[in-house]
Amino acid sequence: MAALRFVWRARVTAARAAPELGSRRVFTAERVVQVAAIVGLVVAPAFTSDFFVSFVLTQALLLGVVAASLIFLAAYGGMVSLAQTLMFGVTGFVIGNAVTTGGSKGLNLGLDPWIGVILGVGITTVLAFVLGAVASRSTGLYFLMITLTFGVIGFYFFGQVTTFSGFGGVNQVRSPPFIGTPGQFPERLYYVAAVISVVVYLVLRYITRTPFGLALQGIRDDHVRMSSLGYNLWIHRTLAFTLAGFVASIAGVLFIWWNRQIDPASIGIGAILGLLIIAVIGGINRLDGAWVGAIVFVVANNYVRDVPGLNQIGLGEARFNTIIGFIFLFIVLLSPDGLIGIGQRITRSLTPARMHTSRDPGYDSGSGSSEMM
Amino acid sequence: MNIAKHRLRAVRLLVLVAVMALFAAACSDSSDTTTTVGGSATTATTSGGTEVIKLAVLSECAGAFGDFHGQDMAGVGAAFAEYAGATITNPDDPTEGFTGASIAGVPVELVGIGCGDDTADTAIKETRRLMEQLDGDIMIGPLSGDESIAVANYAKDHPSQTFINGSAGAMDTTLEVQAPNFFRYNSDGAQWNAGTGDVAFNDLGWKTAAVIMDDYSFAWTSGAGFIAEFCAAGGEVISRVFPPLNTTDYSSFAGQLPDPDEVDGYFWVVGGSGTLPALKAFEDAKGPVTPTQHMGNLFWEFAAGSMDPSMEGAYIGGFGTAGDLKLDSVEAHTAIIDKHYDTIPPFGEAGPQAHSGFLVNYYLAAKALIEGLEAVGGNISDDQAALQSALGSLVLAGPYGSTTLDDNRQAIQDQYVRQFVTLDDGTLGLSTVAVIPTVDQTFGGTFAQGSMPSRTVPGCDTRDLAWVGNSISVVDGVPQG
Repeated sequence: MAALRFVWRARVTAARAAPELGSRRVFTAERVVQVAAIVGLVVAPAFTSDFFVSFVLTQALLLGVVAASLIFLAAYGGMVSLAQTLMFGVTGFVIGNAVTTGGSKGLNLGLDPWIGVILGVGITTVLAFVLGAVASRSTGLYFLMITLTFGVIGFYFFGQVTTFSGFGGVNQVRSPPFIGTPGQFPERLYYVAAVISVVVYLVLRYITRTPFGLALQGIRDDHVRMSSLGYNLWIHRTLAFTLAGFVASIAGVLFIWWNRQIDPASIGIGAILGLLIIAVIGGINRLDGAWVGAIVFVVANNYVRDVPGLNQIGLGEARFNTIIGFIFLFIVLLSPDGLIGIGQRITRSLTPARMHTSRDPGYDSGSGSSEMM
Repeated sequence: MNIAKHRLRAVRLLVLVAVMALFAAACSDSSDTTTTVGGSATTATTSGGTEVIKLAVLSECAGAFGDFHGQDMAGVGAAFAEYAGATITNPDDPTEGFTGASIAGVPVELVGIGCGDDTADTAIKETRRLMEQLDGDIMIGPLSGDESIAVANYAKDHPSQTFINGSAGAMDTTLEVQAPNFFRYNSDGAQWNAGTGDVAFNDLGWKTAAVIMDDYSFAWTSGAGFIAEFCAAGGEVISRVFPPLNTTDYSSFAGQLPDPDEVDGYFWVVGGSGTLPALKAFEDAKGPVTPTQHMGNLFWEFAAGSMDPSMEGAYIGGFGTAGDLKLDSVEAHTAIIDKHYDTIPPFGEAGPQAHSGFLVNYYLAAKALIEGLEAVGGNISDDQAALQSALGSLVLAGPYGSTTLDDNRQAIQDQYVRQFVTLDDGTLGLSTVAVIPTVDQTFGGTFAQGSMPSRTVPGCDTRDLAWVGNSISVVDGVPQG
C-alpha cells in the first residue's frame, strides 16, 4: 500500500511539474519568458556584433547544452555528474582526430566532417554507457567522486597519449561546409546551436515526463522503495547517464565546430568546475537554468575585466577571476537555487498567490539539493 | 521578520539588476568602442584602416608562467616608449600598459592585454577576445609553446591580421603550421639548445647520453635541439625518458634512466615545479648529480637560485639572451628598461630583469612590429599585406646581435651556451661561455614540416651542422672572435 502511494505521489508531483498540461492558463509568466527567449534567440544577431554572436552567444548555447545534461542527471536522477565535460571532450577529440588532414597532432584521418560527427557522438555514447554502468552502482558523494575521476583520467589520457592529442591539442578541425568558420559566418553556427538548444531542452523535458523519467525521479527520491517495486535501479541510472552523455556529445560537436581546436585544458579540472558553476548559478533544479547560467558565466568571464575602475582598485586584467568568483559566490549565497530561483521568486511576487504552481522537478529544491549531494 | 524579507528581496533584485546590467553592457559591445588598458576610454575610428592601429598583447597572468606577466609587458612597453613615443602608464607596473604611441604619424592604441594560463584552450579564447571583440589589428604573443601552436593556427584563418610571437618556443608553431601572417623573432626551443650537444661531445667527452624531458611540445623541441646536435657530432642517445607534466614523484622515471656507469651524461628538460624534485629523485636512485655528467636546458636557469652550489660549472642551454656580454648594445638595452620602468613585479627592480628571456623576446617582437610599421608608413589598409611583407624581410637589431627570418617567418639568430657560476651571495648564477652563430630552425635539415620533435623524433644521425666546431668562446663577457 505504501508503495502504491509512493508511485501515486511521483505521478502527482510530475504532473505538477508539467506546466499547464490540460490547463487553461496559457499566458503564464513562464510561458511569456520562454517565448521572449525564443524571439530573442532569433533576432539577437540583428542587434549585436558578430563577436557577440560568435563568441558569447554561441558559446553560451553550447555550454548550456552540456550543462543541461548535467542538470538532467542532477535534478531528475539525483546524480551530480562531473564527467559531462569528459563526454563533451571525447566527442571533440574524436572529431578532431577523424577530420584533420595533417599539420596537427592526432591521427589526421582526413575523414568527412559528418563521418567525424557520427564517430564522435557514437563513441561518446558508448563510452557514456560503459562509464555509466560503472558509476551507477554508487550514489551521492561517491558518484560525484567517481565521475570526477573519470573527468581527470580523460584530461590526462588526452594529455599524455600523444597518438590522439598531447597537451598541445588538435588544431585546424574542419566543420561541414555549410557551417563554415565562425569567424566568417558567425550566424550559421549560432542558429544551429540555438535550434539544438531548443530541441535538447524540449526532448529532455519530455523525457522527464515519460515512464522512464518518472521512474528516474522515483529512484532519486527513494531508491529502496523503487527497488522493492521491482524497478531495476542500475539500468535506469545507466541509461540516464548514457542519455546525458549523448546530449553532452552534441555539445561537443558544436564546440569543435565553434573552436576548431581542442586540447586537454578544454576538459581539465577548470572546465569541469566551470560547468558545475554554470549549473549551480543557473539553477541546478531546472533545465532552463543551464542556459541562464551559461550566458552569465560567459558574459562575466568576458566582460567583467572591462568594467571601468577595477584596474584602479588593483583588480585589473590579471585578477579578474577574483571578481568573477565573487559574483558567483554572491549569486549562490543569495539564491541557493540559482538565478532561475531568483526569477521564480520575482514571478511569484508579481502574480496572485492562487496562481502559484511548483516548477521544481517534483520536490522541494532545498531538500533536493541536500539529497543529491 | 517582514522587514528582513523585504530587504532580502531587495538585495536579490539588486543582484538580478546587476547581472542584467552586465549582460546589457556585453550586448552593447560593438566594434567602435573600446577601453584602453592605460585606463582612459577612447573611441577608435575605423578598424583595419590607418587612422589608428589597434595593438593587442597576449601575455600570461596565470599558470606556471604567470609571474612573468610584468616582464612580458615591460618588453612591449619599453619598445613602444623608446621607439614610438609611448608614455608608460605606471613605471612600477608594466601590466597597466601605455598610451600615446604613434608610428609614422599613425596612433597605435593598446586595446587589450590577454590573460593566458599556458594552455592552448585559454590562449584561443583570449586571442578571440582581443582580435574579435576588441578588434585588434595586430597581436603580440603568446608566451608558451602549446599556446603558440594554437594561435598560429588561428592566424591562418585570419590572414588580414598580423601575429608576432611573444616568447613561445615550440617548433611546430612556425615549421609545421607555417601561417603566412605569424612571425617569430625569437628562436625555438631546439635553437636555444644549440651548442649543448657540441659541448657535451667535444668538451665534456660524452659519447653516450640519456635525455629526460617533460612530455609536451616545448620540451620535445628543447630536447630535440640537444639530441640533433649531439648525434650530429657523433654521439649516441641511448635513453629517452618522458615524465608527464605535473609529475610530483619522479622516482620511477629516474629509475628508468641508465646508471651513471652505463652512460656518459644526462641532459635534463624538466621544468616548472618538477626541475628540483626530478634531480632529487635521480640522486636518491642513482647517486650525485655532478656538473660534468649533467646538463640542463633553460629550465635550469629558472631554478638556479635553488640549485645546489656544487653544480657550479654545469652547462645549460640558452634562452636567446646573454646579458653578461660586454657589448654596447647590451648596456643600451639595460638602460632602456631602466629608463622606462622602476620596478617589474613581482621580482622587484627593473634593471636586473632587463635580460630575462621573456622580457627580451617580447621586446624584440614589439621592436620588429614598430620597424615593420615604419617601413610601410603605418599603412595597414591593404589587409596588412605590405606590413607582413616588410616584417618578413626585416633585419632586426637586438641587444645581442641581429635577427633575420627564414621562409617560414622563423628567427635565425645567434645562440648562447651558459655555465653556472657562484655569485657573491653563494647562490648560482649564469655566465655565457660560448656564442653559436646564426642557428637556423631546421638544424641542417634534421627537422622539416611533417617531422616535428616528438618522443621519437629526431632519430640519432650523424650529420654536418654548420656551427658545430665553430662556436665562439666567451671569456669574461667578451666573445673571442
